[in-house]
Amino acid sequence: MAARKPVFNQQVLYDTTPLPDSIPKVKELGVTSAPLFSASYFIGARCKDYNDDFMKCKTENPGKGEFECLKEGRRVTRCARSVIQDLNTHCLEQFRAHWECLDNNNHQMWQCRPAEWSLNKCAFEKLGLEKVIPDQPKDQVPVHLRPKMIFAHYPIPRDTPPYISPAQQERLAAIQRQRKGIPEPSAKLDTATS
Amino acid sequence: MPQDMPPVGGYEAVQYKRNLPARGFRPATLLAGAGLIMAYGWYHVIVGLRERNELAREKMWGRIHLIPALQAEEDRDLVRRHLADQAREKELLGENFKVYNSDRYVRPTFAVTPGQITK
Repeated sequence: MAARKPVFNQQVLYDTTPLPDSIPKVKELGVTSAPLFSASYFIGARCKDYNDDFMKCKTENPGKGEFECLKEGRRVTRCARSVIQDLNTHCLEQFRAHWECLDNNNHQMWQCRPAEWSLNKCAFEKLGLEKVIPDQPKDQVPVHLRPKMIFAHYPIPRDTPPYISPAQQERLAAIQRQRKGIPEPSAKLDTATS
Repeated sequence: MPQDMPPVGGYEAVQYKRNLPARGFRPATLLAGAGLIMAYGWYHVIVGLRERNELAREKMWGRIHLIPALQAEEDRDLVRRHLADQAREKELLGENFKVYNSDRYVRPTFAVTPGQITK
């Protein structure tokens, strides 16, 4: 290591001038990567509309979105913050267990399934937020609901079954029907009518 | 003198090749067995690949859900710095020069390093 101090260090580059008062203030998220990643699907579930609004604004204002989309940005931040806040008030124990597990396992979701399931249970029952992964193959069990993780370092204990919400239950039943070749109840009606 | 002749009924057969029992399975069986083992292995490889794809999808969507929040925070910070830069420029030079021939926001290449840190 060179003995000379780096000239451009962070301390000198720090610009602390606040935003002008004409722009409303918003509290930043103030969350590190592991809790954010742990809460990401709940943020996506609650804030989808705000997120889409913001991203739409950004695409419609190329090169100027930083200034034009401040309002949408504040909404996004407020919504994401509310999710974190709610998780902290209602599911603190499960939330903390999950994100600490993520922190210790290189942010690999598949190492932390039991913690994730208890967090999903709490989030669904207390906040009504559900983790759904879009665009999955229709004939497979969603990857976060499988009782066995191939890539996990340790097998998942038997006494921690995946938490399956009522809506997921229905989807899983549909998958089972498809595997066994039993036609869907609604599909049967469709063929009868057409 | 009479010539030596072969014995009556000819010589015995000369054993020029080894007479070993054929050990092990038949080649066809071996080939089929190797194929079966490999098929088993490939089955697990494919199951693993598919699960890996799904895990990658899970990670991707997790990040997609976070992009707007992170981007909003970053944008606010950029705007704050930009406005501070503009104010500083105005204070030092009296007016704001238009550096680029476009209205797009350009991330500053150089950071201003204030002499006195007012933190």
